[in-house]
Amino acid sequence: MDIFAQLLIQGLTIGSFYALVALGYTMVYGIIRLINFAHGDLFMVGAFVGWSVLTPLIGARLHWGLAVLAALAASTLFTGALGVFVDRAAYQPLLNAPRLSILITALGVSLALENSVLIIYGPGFSTYPHILSNAGFPIGAAHISWAQLGIIGSSLVLMLALYVFVHRTYVGTAMRALAVDQDAARLMGINVERVIQLTFFIGSALAAVAGVMEGVYYTQINFFMGFLLGLRAFTAAVLGGIGNIPGAMAGGILIGLLEAFFSGYLSSQWTDVFVFGILIAVLTVKPTGLFGERVVERM
Amino acid sequence: MVPTPITALGVALAVLTAAGPAAPPAFAASGTIKIGVPVPLSGSYASAGEDILNGAKLAAEHINANGGVLGKNIEIVAEDDACDAQSAVQAAQKLIDNGVVAVAGGYCSSAALPEVTPLRRAGIAYVLDASTNPKLTEMGYPNVLRVIGRDDEQGPFAADFMANFLNAKRAAVINDNTTYAKGLADATVKALKGYHVEVVYDNAITPGQMDYTPVLTRVSSLKPDVTYYTGYFSEAGLMVKEAKQINMPGRFMGGDATNSPVLLKTAGPAADGMLITTAPLAQFLSGAKGYVAEYEKQFHAPPGPYSVYEYDSIGVVAQAIKDAGSDKPSAIIEALHKIKDYNGLTGSITFNKNGDRTRAVYIVIEVKNDQFVPFARLNDNGKWELMKQ
Repeated sequence: MDIFAQLLIQGLTIGSFYALVALGYTMVYGIIRLINFAHGDLFMVGAFVGWSVLTPLIGARLHWGLAVLAALAASTLFTGALGVFVDRAAYQPLLNAPRLSILITALGVSLALENSVLIIYGPGFSTYPHILSNAGFPIGAAHISWAQLGIIGSSLVLMLALYVFVHRTYVGTAMRALAVDQDAARLMGINVERVIQLTFFIGSALAAVAGVMEGVYYTQINFFMGFLLGLRAFTAAVLGGIGNIPGAMAGGILIGLLEAFFSGYLSSQWTDVFVFGILIAVLTVKPTGLFGERVVERM
Repeated sequence: MVPTPITALGVALAVLTAAGPAAPPAFAASGTIKIGVPVPLSGSYASAGEDILNGAKLAAEHINANGGVLGKNIEIVAEDDACDAQSAVQAAQKLIDNGVVAVAGGYCSSAALPEVTPLRRAGIAYVLDASTNPKLTEMGYPNVLRVIGRDDEQGPFAADFMANFLNAKRAAVINDNTTYAKGLADATVKALKGYHVEVVYDNAITPGQMDYTPVLTRVSSLKPDVTYYTGYFSEAGLMVKEAKQINMPGRFMGGDATNSPVLLKTAGPAADGMLITTAPLAQFLSGAKGYVAEYEKQFHAPPGPYSVYEYDSIGVVAQAIKDAGSDKPSAIIEALHKIKDYNGLTGSITFNKNGDRTRAVYIVIEVKNDQFVPFARLNDNGKWELMKQ
């Protein structure tokens, strides 16, 4: 049995999650040169908020599609607002401090978020209701489920929408201006703080979408789930060229595909070595990443 | 398998509770024989420790009702080890200071290991009821004995089941590269080869991920008759669900660390038909029917997975004191090693030269309608038989 097509579908599904979370890393880095280590945990918070909304709605026999939409809406709003709050409380006061201070602060925020969820929801696993079936249709020898199609499709739509927003709208232009030169942008009359907050909101909301989708699809969540996924997504952002939006999308999908093909065809226990080896190889040849425009700051 | 967390809260509580009941050592020494029971009574695993302690109390009650040993009553002395190395050493020291003649208990291997050192120095026997790490008896200390199976005994058992019950010709073994899971996987693969079962896949996954379908797709393409996952329950729940998604051929099996309600919740109906190798719960043991009823009547709770093993641990210690005709700690250790075919609730108990039980008991359970039910066991003639559900 040839498993290529099946692995391709699985790689795209995994990559969609990485790409959605990678966007948050890359947007924040692009604008304030901060590697937001708390971003993976915002993804985790998104999954938990979604769980808190979805579970009673499904229990009340609401149609599952509506329930998921309600969970997505609540989770994106809450997590987006939390992202803005984190920025206001922890990052903005340090914008002009040495880079190292703000980086350490990001680690602190990450731990604070993890431990808050640990205390509120407990150390064990929470489980989303089982609402998705495995129904779908065959593509050659492979099977793609509607759920997988939905995950890949909706993340593509979100990424395209973000790209259009950043490149075709007035606010998007302001974001890009800020990425080039903050002081010049301020002189042009751009409300820098507001634009940074918007960036945090969008990045966190995208992570929340990924969190809820992950919960609905895989059903198992816990307070530590943001760590591994955050690490992979950050790798994806760097691989694509951190600060670059199409780069994060491509990097996310690429890491997902590499992971699937490597563990499917070669050895699953060597997958991490291989994936991170590729990252090192790419950065050695092209230090700015595949699509990168600027050199990654040395830490 | 017993998990190994370190909870700061647990430590704090342990210190507080330990400070509370200061035992009056001078008076109690003469009339009773003291057996120490170190278990977690605070922290995440407090409920497991409580179960074990109840098993010990029930055992002492029965022994004392039958006249005690050497004309004296057994007294159970509990100490909180909080499933934490530091508290465990203090707990062991307190038991020694309290004048126990032997120790029977323990839950987390990571707490039991440090407890061994002070107990060995004091020359006091430690009979383990629940800690399965092979190292505990591999250190070669004569004072450590164990009434439950070892992680590296489960592998041959699982292999026997796959080869001789499922008649598998091709098997896949997946672990997660943790010490426990890798050890179990290696032991299983070695034993499978002995049964001439072809091991078509032997590799590890990264724990903590969500999507294991690429690995499972690969395993599917190798057409195994059975796939054995030796890691923990959370990944197992995802894997059994994802295996069903891709229509993986053959049966999905897990090691004893997958025996958790979290697996049932994560996998939902997809877990139906999954098989798990595990030490039998008291309610699945034919010899322990009366025990389960009495335990539930007295403590208003199910007996938990290990209390019946603790019951037998106290039992063998009492037997050893009788055999030795003395409650001197060194005489007890000597007598424990000489115990032969002690008739315990969990079956016949004899120790090998390491102090491990010669025929460790494992059974296979099945997931059926969101519940674990008994499935198959090896009978006394070494043949497989289905268990009544």
